[in-house]
Amino acid sequence: MEAAGYATLTRQTGLMREMQMIANNIANAATTGYRAEGMIFSEFVARAEGAPSLSMARGNTPVTSQVQGPVEATGGAFDFAIEGEGFFLIDTPEGERLTRAGAFALSGEGDLVTMDGFRVLDAGGAPVFIPPDAGRPGLGTDGTLSADGRPLAQLGLFQPVEGAALIRVGGNLFESRGAIVPVEEGKILQGFREGSNVEPLSEIARMIEVQRAYEMGQSFLEAEHERVRRALDTFTR
Amino acid sequence: MRLLKIAATGMAAQQMRVETISNNLANMSTTGYNARRAEFADLHYQQVTRAGTISASDGSVLPTGVQLGLGVRPAAVTVELTQGSLRATGGDLDVAIDGHGYLEVTLPSGQSGYTRDGALKRSAEGVIVTSEGFAVAPEITIPDDARSLSINAEGEVFAFFDDAVEAQSLGQLNLVGFANAKGLEAIGSNLFLETEASGPANVTTAGQDGLGTLRHGFLEDSSVDPVREITELIEAQRGYELNAKVITAADQMLAATTQVR
Repeated sequence: MEAAGYATLTRQTGLMREMQMIANNIANAATTGYRAEGMIFSEFVARAEGAPSLSMARGNTPVTSQVQGPVEATGGAFDFAIEGEGFFLIDTPEGERLTRAGAFALSGEGDLVTMDGFRVLDAGGAPVFIPPDAGRPGLGTDGTLSADGRPLAQLGLFQPVEGAALIRVGGNLFESRGAIVPVEEGKILQGFREGSNVEPLSEIARMIEVQRAYEMGQSFLEAEHERVRRALDTFTR
Repeated sequence: MRLLKIAATGMAAQQMRVETISNNLANMSTTGYNARRAEFADLHYQQVTRAGTISASDGSVLPTGVQLGLGVRPAAVTVELTQGSLRATGGDLDVAIDGHGYLEVTLPSGQSGYTRDGALKRSAEGVIVTSEGFAVAPEITIPDDARSLSINAEGEVFAFFDDAVEAQSLGQLNLVGFANAKGLEAIGSNLFLETEASGPANVTTAGQDGLGTLRHGFLEDSSVDPVREITELIEAQRGYELNAKVITAADQMLAATTQVR
């Protein structure tokens, strides 16, 4: 294959990946605390011997949208939404993870856990224990959970240190590549949870765009194939 | 080909949401029913290029890498433990739980079941039973000649007789609490079983441990909010259609691929 074919192929591979991201975004349009993901293409210039350089398209930089998702009222005592920046800190067997999905429950032992059963950590990094007779604890503006005038724990918000990458690990969790630091100004709402920040309309528009671009690439490849075939026909006659 | 599978997980998730909603709506008149809500989480990610991979000889590293998500999975169907409104029925064996406790029921297997459905009846032997005929624990027998019954806020059952002025106490109903009532296993017929996740049953009486009190002559309505269910239904239906659209697009992209010779 010639250079034109390779250049198109890099674009096609990237588009296929972007399509997969869009499909994943749409599949997670109802996932609590989900963050939409997009793709950035970059130019990759290859120097060719004795010929003009060749430019290829590389789609290999994902971006995560940090736009606030819609806050939905649920009325649940252990449903928490974060308004503004920050994540809840979760204790998993693989280490500490971050999440925006504040749909929590109590374990049989009375610990506050995520839907997958991982413990939620408070502002000091300790598990949040709710005694069985606490009933429905209330949440203060500073994140203090209390029942019957007795403070139980203080929920805390965290974020990765400036510049550290966030890796998606599934289960609404993110892994930080750097240190995790507390967030001061975040606000936690009780009885609400943050929905997915996927905007179906823009995802569908992007999907159509990607699909058409992909088809354009394919028809280019086909035209290129036809050109080479004709050239071979002409020269070998 | 992953594209099709991702969209399929999305469709399956939305379908599960519709199933949960339809079950809620079907139970909007079920005594003591609490609405269920489907919860989702994103599936694992395929790490195409790991973040932190060295991209140049001077030691620069990729800040984010490439991770491709593989769709969505159901994480849980949780019970929304909200108090339903209390409806006056005047039934002499109707009790509503004003709080978050459960009544204890002895199942035919001898196991304990738990319910919030206080529409109690009496069996041919005079034993207080649920609508399914399972005896309420502890077993309380109502004498045949009892003129009327009264159940107080603590669950104590009294009977009045024609030949006596004072009411006679027959027994006291148990009220049970759990550390995590969302973890109970629903077995239908408004009954729940204890599980590892719910924690052990804390058997006490009404008025103890903040479990609430009993209201005689009332029943707890279903806590399903039809308006909310319908808006959720619309969302779920549109979500399903969006995922179907992705399948169409993926199919067309694959068709374009096969056209290249």
